Amino acid sequence: MDVSHLIDPDRGLIRGEIFHSQAIYEQELEQIFARSWIFLAHDKMLPQPGDFIQNYIGEDPVLVVRQPDGSVRAFLNQCRHRGMRICRADRGNARNFMCSFHGWNYGLDGDVINIPHGEAIYDAVERAEFRATPVRLANYKGFIFGTWDAAAPAFEDYLGDFAWYFDAYIDRYEGGLEVVGMHKWVLPANWKFNAEQPASDMYHGEVSHASAFQVMVPPPKDAHSPPPDWAMRQLGQLSNPSGFQFASPYGHGNGWFAGGMPTMNETIYRWQEATAAQVAARLGPERVLSAGHANIFPNFMMLSNYTFRVTHPRGPNEMEIWAWSMAPVAAPAEVKEAIRLDLLRTFSPAGMFEQDDAVNWEEEQRILRGHMARKAPLIYKQMLGRARYDADGLPGRTVPHVYAEEGARGMYRHYMDMMSGAPWPDLTRRKQQREDAERRALAAQGQPPAKPDAAAA
Amino acid sequence: MNEPNVVHLFQREDHLAPVNVPMQTAYEIEQFLYAEAELLDAWKFRDWLALMAPDVHYWAPVRENRLAREMEREMYPPGTAAHFDENLHMLGERVNRLYTNMAWSEAPPSRTRHLVSNVRAHTTGQADEFDVQSSFHVYRTSSERHQDSVIGKRFDRLRRANAPYGFQIVNRTVVFDMATLLVKNLSLFY
Ligand code: FES
Ligand SMILES: [Fe+2]
Repeated sequence: MDVSHLIDPDRGLIRGEIFHSQAIYEQELEQIFARSWIFLAHDKMLPQPGDFIQNYIGEDPVLVVRQPDGSVRAFLNQCRHRGMRICRADRGNARNFMCSFHGWNYGLDGDVINIPHGEAIYDAVERAEFRATPVRLANYKGFIFGTWDAAAPAFEDYLGDFAWYFDAYIDRYEGGLEVVGMHKWVLPANWKFNAEQPASDMYHGEVSHASAFQVMVPPPKDAHSPPPDWAMRQLGQLSNPSGFQFASPYGHGNGWFAGGMPTMNETIYRWQEATAAQVAARLGPERVLSAGHANIFPNFMMLSNYTFRVTHPRGPNEMEIWAWSMAPVAAPAEVKEAIRLDLLRTFSPAGMFEQDDAVNWEEEQRILRGHMARKAPLIYKQMLGRARYDADGLPGRTVPHVYAEEGARGMYRHYMDMMSGAPWPDLTRRKQQREDAERRALAAQGQPPAKPDAAAA
Repeated sequence: MNEPNVVHLFQREDHLAPVNVPMQTAYEIEQFLYAEAELLDAWKFRDWLALMAPDVHYWAPVRENRLAREMEREMYPPGTAAHFDENLHMLGERVNRLYTNMAWSEAPPSRTRHLVSNVRAHTTGQADEFDVQSSFHVYRTSSERHQDSVIGKRFDRLRRANAPYGFQIVNRTVVFDMATLLVKNLSLFY
């Protein structure tokens, strides 16, 4: 199915049909999920040999397993015999995996190591070929991604300029991150809503999350004094927003407030403040505050408060969110605990921010049952035509405002590329040509002002 | 995440023991839980908050699917994954949020029914404190046609108090009967 008549990134118009159609959904499983890099695990989730977690690539369950030699392998969690799920636990530790239908036994690497009565009933040569379908893996600073597609670009190329931004979330401190919490829940809405929002939409916070900001402002010292000035500074970012948004040719997006992501948690705020110089020394001054929210296409989102999530597609009308709370290994225990508690109170199914996002997406989805609702193009025009390359010390394509839809336009441009079904090498070439042409055009007009025009904002 | 080998909450001997409080006490405890349910369903959240002891801990661990031999690890231990891990101040913020009229998950407000059953009470080392288990079913409808159900079990420590309904909640552990939560959010109290 051709989706190009539904998406017009150059004019910033997208028809709601892409969130609703079952046929488009099936095509996404094939063209997007089976061909993209999907987050599967973090090294710290698999400390010991035999440790496994089950995750998904689209609707396909995948077992990710720490091997005796310390490496990690992953394979489709489907028995080759009749397709039963090989391992039915979410995570744990195992020496091997026995399919509980007829008892085929799989090693930690996905090879079949024992078949009941196998010698008598199978040809020996064929039996050697029975192995669970392997996943191609990449490990980027502890984050393990997988793809089925041998032709997909190397993961670092797929990240491209986003790697620079990704590091500001995951590599701020020596030792990286560790897991401090986990949530899984379902939402009656299309998976793309939870991809597009962190890739692009910082704009909704002020209204969608008004109640949470209101009640989480730390109490003043006494009845006569205002709330502490650090909290007011944080909130000030909402009333006078400035910042940037990044859009990748591979559909990733990042956005952040110039003054950093507001947090109403004093312990976390003080620690961030105390370590800012350390982060600047490690990553450079531009990246101390360049983490806000982001999405690695298609479905791995992150916030600077250390929630990392994969949003699994479950039909056009449902998503399943798997969210890990992480904390810097280098953080003191009380900061890790503050991060854990802050995340469960803000961005978990019971979180005071998350709850309200759920309702937006649910209502969007519900309304898209309507014919007119699907037909009328939705408006994605914020900061349209304002993109620059390599401006303000920021690699790649950015726009100089935190409230923008460049990230969404970039995401859906790549989505169209993928949905066209064109093979990866063609896509990569097309993207390069597009970017070269844009860079030339921008240079010809003298690139638009590199500094954010704060006065106009 | 470090994983101490915690005893599965449901298998704790003290919870399985026969009820040992006098009938009158059991009755008072049940009536307290029903009154609490009424307050929640009536959107009397500030009155509900007044049922909490100043040192309350309100905790709901996350559960997951584990191999049978790792069953005692089904529940995430304290200090790790949880849906709620609240003190009185934090519960207060959640309650205040619902009254901003901008807590969109509950604006327009949903309609709920807290059904409480299977109440079992035990004495503790403290004469005025009781360990109380109960099952709950929270049915919710909202918007035009949304409806969902959250079912689970609570392990409460109640303390006799000079308060409208005779007790305060010192400790509540809420165990939802779901690994992946099959609801869009947990916007209320359980
Ligand atoms: S389906 Fe797995 S052994 Fe038959
Ligand atoms: Fe949000």
